[in-house]
Amino acid sequence: MSATLRPYLSAVRHTLSAAMCLQNFNSQVVERHNKPEVEVRWSKELLMTAVVVSRNEKEKVLIEPSINSIRISISIKQADDIERILCHKFMRFMMMRAENFIILRRKPVEGYDISFLITNFHTEQMFKHKLVDFVIHFMEEIDKEISEMKLAVNARARECAMEYLKRF
Amino acid sequence: MTEVFQFGLVPITCHAWNKDRSRVALSLNNNEVNIYERAGSEWRLQETLQGHDLRVTGIDWAPNTNRIVTCGADRNAYVWTCGVDGKWSPTLVLLRINRAATCVKWSPNENKFAVGSGARLISVCYFEQENNWWVSKHIKKPIRSTITTLDWHPNNILLAAGAADFKVRIFSAWIKDIEPKPTPTPWGAKMPLGQMMTEFSNSTGGGGWVHSVSFSGDGNRVCWVGHDSSLTVADAGKEMAKTQLKTEYLPFTAVTWVSLNSLVAVGHGCCPML
Repeated sequence: MSATLRPYLSAVRHTLSAAMCLQNFNSQVVERHNKPEVEVRWSKELLMTAVVVSRNEKEKVLIEPSINSIRISISIKQADDIERILCHKFMRFMMMRAENFIILRRKPVEGYDISFLITNFHTEQMFKHKLVDFVIHFMEEIDKEISEMKLAVNARARECAMEYLKRF
Repeated sequence: MTEVFQFGLVPITCHAWNKDRSRVALSLNNNEVNIYERAGSEWRLQETLQGHDLRVTGIDWAPNTNRIVTCGADRNAYVWTCGVDGKWSPTLVLLRINRAATCVKWSPNENKFAVGSGARLISVCYFEQENNWWVSKHIKKPIRSTITTLDWHPNNILLAAGAADFKVRIFSAWIKDIEPKPTPTPWGAKMPLGQMMTEFSNSTGGGGWVHSVSFSGDGNRVCWVGHDSSLTVADAGKEMAKTQLKTEYLPFTAVTWVSLNSLVAVGHGCCPML
């Protein structure tokens, strides 16, 4: 399974480095406004074609670039009910604190578990290659965290059950 | 001989040099323009020009008449003239646009300048003597998206414009009131104001926003760079023949001719290419 991980992450990294060439762009629909074009979607010529990089049917990344912003949506591997619940709660925890993450979006795009919105203002303040490194690192760590949490949940359940059944 | 000088930790949005390169005017991603003067091996802040309400998007310094024109996201442009006391004073330009201005360039004879905007039009502005202000004439058809870049032909009449609709167009910007009728050029003979001489598409399927356009020194060739990492040169002498070079680098954002046959392009790859 890890044989597909390296090429998957490398493909995502190359797509992100190319898509993160953002520039400041004032809105051409509303005067004096400066909005992320990937979110407002008013002018078709300012949006680039969306790319989906998928490792299998369950794990994929949707990258939607535009002239001044890029939206990255990640779909995480969830094999059974426990992982589904853990993933949902973990993502919700992070999305509620989206201000501290700066580039996180408060709601995921339809069909995905978590979304990032990176605008030209972020790339002006932070290094592009570091932003790409962060997203790739995030994708690698998420799977590990969820597996760890699942093991912890199972271990605690076993402990509780043993303590309870000692009485009988 | 390159020198590196740091003006702060914020991005420099736009800049312009004066005639002998002793001064530079630049904008640090805000609504002010700073003029720096060279003092030995350092640059000293000489003056700050405040006039715009929103971000300054373009600056150009006319070498001979020593005027600076700035345009901003607040739909305004100002022409700054240096008084006898060395202070710069602004004159408002009536652009009559209802969206942000994106780029500005003085023409080679410095009697007019062109401003590109998100309102899908180019404003060609000249000084009207009777009323003592700068007025503008619009070039509208057939532009369909924000103008991202402009460059003048050496004959002071033709203007090349690159836009976010993936096209590069050459227009005639002849203002009847201030200059004589132009002579025919390889780009076309009839040149009323706003006439589109030719239109180039960046590629058959679309091709990426045009980031920068530049006329060669003699005006017969024009080159542009697009967001699809390509560099294209069109030659008027060879009946508008187009040669395109697709590169595997990150997209270029600016290009300029250094001699009759060579160009320098720079962009997101952080490295100039010749």
